[in-house]
Amino acid sequence: MIDVQPLTIHSWPRAIMHIDADAFFASCEQAIHPELKGKPVITGKERGIVAAASYEAKAKGVERGMRLFEAKKVCPDVIMLPSDYETYSLFSVRMFEIIKRFSPDVEEYSIDEAFVDITGLRRIFHNSYEYIAQKLQETVEKELDISVSVGVSLTKVLSKIASKHKKPRGFTVIPGKDIHIYLSFLPTEKVWGIGPNTSAFLKKFGINTALEFAKKDEKFIKKYLSKPYQEIWHELNGRNVYPVVNESKSEYQSISKTKTFTPPSDNETFIFAQLSKNLENACIKARRYRLAASRLIVFLRRQDFRDIGIEIKLTRPTAYTAELFEPLKEGFIKIYHPKTLFRSTGVVLSGLMPEKDVQYTLFDDVARIQKMAKIYTAVDILSERFGKHTIHHGASLPVKLHAQHQGERGDIAQRKTELFKGENKRQRLGLPVMNMKV
Amino acid sequence: MQEDKLKHRVKVISGFYHQKGRMPSFSEIGELVGFKSKNAVFKLVANLEKMDVLRRDKKGRLIPHSIGQPVKILGIVEAGFPSPAEEDLADTLSLDDLLIQNKEATFLLKVSGDSMSGAGILPGDMVIVEKGRTPKNGDIVIAEVDGEWTMKYLKKRGESITLIPANPKYKPIKPKNELKIAGVVTAVVRKYL
Repeated sequence: MIDVQPLTIHSWPRAIMHIDADAFFASCEQAIHPELKGKPVITGKERGIVAAASYEAKAKGVERGMRLFEAKKVCPDVIMLPSDYETYSLFSVRMFEIIKRFSPDVEEYSIDEAFVDITGLRRIFHNSYEYIAQKLQETVEKELDISVSVGVSLTKVLSKIASKHKKPRGFTVIPGKDIHIYLSFLPTEKVWGIGPNTSAFLKKFGINTALEFAKKDEKFIKKYLSKPYQEIWHELNGRNVYPVVNESKSEYQSISKTKTFTPPSDNETFIFAQLSKNLENACIKARRYRLAASRLIVFLRRQDFRDIGIEIKLTRPTAYTAELFEPLKEGFIKIYHPKTLFRSTGVVLSGLMPEKDVQYTLFDDVARIQKMAKIYTAVDILSERFGKHTIHHGASLPVKLHAQHQGERGDIAQRKTELFKGENKRQRLGLPVMNMKV
Repeated sequence: MQEDKLKHRVKVISGFYHQKGRMPSFSEIGELVGFKSKNAVFKLVANLEKMDVLRRDKKGRLIPHSIGQPVKILGIVEAGFPSPAEEDLADTLSLDDLLIQNKEATFLLKVSGDSMSGAGILPGDMVIVEKGRTPKNGDIVIAEVDGEWTMKYLKKRGESITLIPANPKYKPIKPKNELKIAGVVTAVVRKYL
């Protein structure tokens, strides 16, 4: 090594842990289907593309986003399963609950990733940060039967580098004095937050590795790079900038709902019904977090995987489906082509703001809006009691009358077909179900 | 007559105080008792002050005195049991709490075979399985023996392990290779209706 001088001599000014589940969806499936352990498993069967691949499948060349027939070609014995988001969500919640037994400062970064601030916990565990992280990793594996990769370092950016360092079941600890060792062979584009453009730009200055970037002086960084990259530069040097945001996700920049249906369709009413259902779902979520959207994006995916979309600015931020139907229809008419086959539709609610901050304008029909608020409060209460979509808009009806996926059997998760007495299509017990014959 | 009126006035002011948790302002008293002029309110307050119904602080604001005490209403006998307070219900378990000890490690499993019928576990029943729990002698476990999954009693004697069914139709199993235990059965649930 040419440059052996450490970036910092302080070992643990802060201790941040990053936990990343290994092939999460596929691992959940292997946990509830123990006979699939050690076998190449993929999920996403109902969508026609690989949503997640187990490490056994990845080893044979299966990649995320591949079409099913391509996956079958590179790995003939691949086991294809339909997505079971209910189970994955249950596992996700449990993973965060287990992590919270160790530290109250947990950031639920995504469905299968978390940042944890464990600074100061050495005292109550009577042990090192390394031990705490190891214990956490063991507990998740023991209780959930899924493996996770763990990285511990001084900042979020560094802990993410650590957890990616070795996968699956990785365990990497980078104390301050060792940072430079891990950065010296890491290309800049592998750093969280640095994209291909920035990395190409840095190359113009002869900066290829994360270490070369971290070693640049502040003057250079301030002159050529914007604030987010200055922050990454600090984080790489072991100076904590990004806090671990200690709350479950309640802030969203946007909410998107997409659904694929098979076979592809060119039926206008049916495709609009798909959009309408997506819109209802997105609105339900927005209302759950008390948000209102100021923009609506509508898009359709053609059979050949090409997307057409349109963005509509709303006259008033809202999360009431009825108010969004007009713009939805407007957008749909602009992008829909008869005699074209579509395979999925989606809506995105963006420009989200807290519902309580929405102000009436001079032209709003306040009485009508308040009535709407009453109606949707009632709808949400009914949904909570009897299941989602107990009351829905007429436009979504064709979706209900139609199976989302026709043709091949086994496109619906077992969880939804094999019910316990008392469960129904809409509501099931909030526990994952194991599938084996005993 | 005069006294009745006064009693009524004290009652409405006291009612206001107990409902809102603060004393009414002069104009509010006016509204409460039906006075249009503030002067009338002022006189009433002075009167009540003399009777020790209320007092005024240094800045002249009203503070409750005798009306501050809990109201005793004649004619209604305090009797019976207070409605169940939350504290009394704090020491009850929900069915969830009863059946599930470690929520994060608990899974459900539908039974298909009858090898544990003697233990009251029948085909179609739902068993609650806890992962990551160290099985003890006599526990019912979900285990993999030579590539097959099964639910049996676990018998430990020293180093030797035997899986024992609760149905004479089946024989005890002595695993030849490694025994993998997926979890311990902590409860069985059977719903009839």
